[in-house]
Amino acid sequence: MGEQPVMVFKDVVKVYPLPSGDVTALDGISFQVDRGEFISVMGPSGSGKSTLLNLMGCLDTPTSGDIYIGGIRIRDMSDKDLTNLRRDRIGFIFQYFNLFPLLNIIENVTFPMMLKSQKAVDPEKGRAVLRSVQLDDSLFTHTPMEISGGQQQRVAVARALINDPDILLCDEPTGNLDSKTGAGIMELMSDLNRKGTTIIMVTHDPHIAEYSRRTILIADGRIVE
Amino acid sequence: MIFWEIAKRNIRIHLLRSSLAMLGIVIGVVAIASMGILGNSLVLTVSDSLKTVGDSVIVTPHVGGTMGGFGGGAGGSSALKITEQNFQQIKRVSAPNIAIPVLQTSDRMKLGVGSDEIVAAIYGLNPDDVPDLLKLKEGGYSRGDSGVLVGSTFAKDNNVKVGSRIAIGTDGDKGTLRVTGIIEERGMAFDVSTDTAIVVTKGWFDDTYNRNDYDKVVVKVKNLDDLPTVKTAIENQMNKRDKIVDVVDTRKTMETIFAAFGQITTFVSAIGGISMLVAGVSILNIMMMSVTERIKEIGIMRSIGAQRKEVMSMFLYEALILGVVGSLIGGTMSLLGGYAISSVLLQTTKYLFVFSSLIHIVYGMSFGIVISLICGIYPAWRAANLNPIEALRHE
Repeated sequence: MGEQPVMVFKDVVKVYPLPSGDVTALDGISFQVDRGEFISVMGPSGSGKSTLLNLMGCLDTPTSGDIYIGGIRIRDMSDKDLTNLRRDRIGFIFQYFNLFPLLNIIENVTFPMMLKSQKAVDPEKGRAVLRSVQLDDSLFTHTPMEISGGQQQRVAVARALINDPDILLCDEPTGNLDSKTGAGIMELMSDLNRKGTTIIMVTHDPHIAEYSRRTILIADGRIVE
Repeated sequence: MIFWEIAKRNIRIHLLRSSLAMLGIVIGVVAIASMGILGNSLVLTVSDSLKTVGDSVIVTPHVGGTMGGFGGGAGGSSALKITEQNFQQIKRVSAPNIAIPVLQTSDRMKLGVGSDEIVAAIYGLNPDDVPDLLKLKEGGYSRGDSGVLVGSTFAKDNNVKVGSRIAIGTDGDKGTLRVTGIIEERGMAFDVSTDTAIVVTKGWFDDTYNRNDYDKVVVKVKNLDDLPTVKTAIENQMNKRDKIVDVVDTRKTMETIFAAFGQITTFVSAIGGISMLVAGVSILNIMMMSVTERIKEIGIMRSIGAQRKEVMSMFLYEALILGVVGSLIGGTMSLLGGYAISSVLLQTTKYLFVFSSLIHIVYGMSFGIVISLICGIYPAWRAANLNPIEALRHE
């Protein structure tokens, strides 16, 4: 028997009811993500990429169809359980880094750990993860505003990895970086993937998509490729 | 906990606006506590003045009624009197408590050769009753009719000492009395207000003013719980057919006075409470601003696994810090404010450092913290219930 997929979408439909009429953002999407995959999701604006990302990140639930994360069906889960699922099994990496300006680097990285343990945590794991994303020790006590964009994105990657998630969900991870720094971040992603991390990345950029090993192309709410 | 730390840092980073919000709480606490302290000090001041007379039942002729006789002695201020027969009835129903008949008038008097004549109140008391009613701070009780006791203020104002002589009447036509003692200060009193008066013997009073009837009867009650019973007994005895006496339970009267003062204190503190409500609105406003500024941050927190209650707690911590710090500063300033107000308005601060005054600071501080928390609830709830997807999109 093969290993259980980390994520499964089965005939997922997402409809947004609007006063001017229902809008179908996703229309019968089915796919599965196996452990260790590196997938890019591409498509034009309005194709449903963001809706798909929200569903994969358990920030939203489908109108119909089923989504399984690590074998758990999310459709009827409470807000509390979905939040715990995000905390424990999914790591988010955003285009604009989205670090907390009031916390220093080590506090930003260990924040999800604190949410999980509900108490003060040993910062040593945070330091180890920051070193694994090649961030210099001298920056650990700085605030996000005191470091560069590329360094901030490395911190964001470390924060996403801190709770050992099943999947890393990346939303245009290089969209706010210059090409050289972006390439550095993508090398880091590839390296993480080679070490076994499952990565799903939404991007517009075909050059960035080349780092992945599989591409899901979406148009008008359907998978076309 | 990290949310407590974030709340602290957010207040620190927006120090000016946080300080302004706290200032509102400070003013509210100071207003409530200072007004409460002032009101309580007023109550204590009056209480101190009245406390010596809270154990009596005072019987006076009913104004508008008809007494058994019309004494109307020389210098009497009222035609209505209590007869000896009335007194004996009162004494009988009040037993074993002590019933003290009191004669009262006012007259001219001179306190030494060359001094100006003054007019003062004169009380006539049976020498045996005087120790039950009055305490002396100097000298002794009068044994003969030629002795007189003087009130403390009277003695001070007129430079009267034990042994001084007082000539009563115009040019001393009613005789001269020798001061045997100075009465302790009694303040305002329902029975006999002796501070600015002199107390002569009943015998001298009767002879001089040709009086046999009394102006009032003071019943000193041994057990305070008997006050209502004694009052009712006298009323039942004396006012069977017509209402001929008014009977006042001094403790009841004092309770009414204190209740009125209490209401004034509450009212004045409530005015202070309005300023606290304004401060609360200021906190609400600042917290709403804080939530609006941090919508994206809230979205990130929610997306990476923060529960609604954790986001809510972060904003409630902020409101709590504003309330606690503001209340602590306000509480400290209330002590200074209470001290200043008491000094200026009451000319004494001895009523400030007592439990019943200091508790108003605790009330003010508690109200400040509770108002801050209440005003933080809605912004915190709003933050906690933001849709994470929309919050993440917020710029």
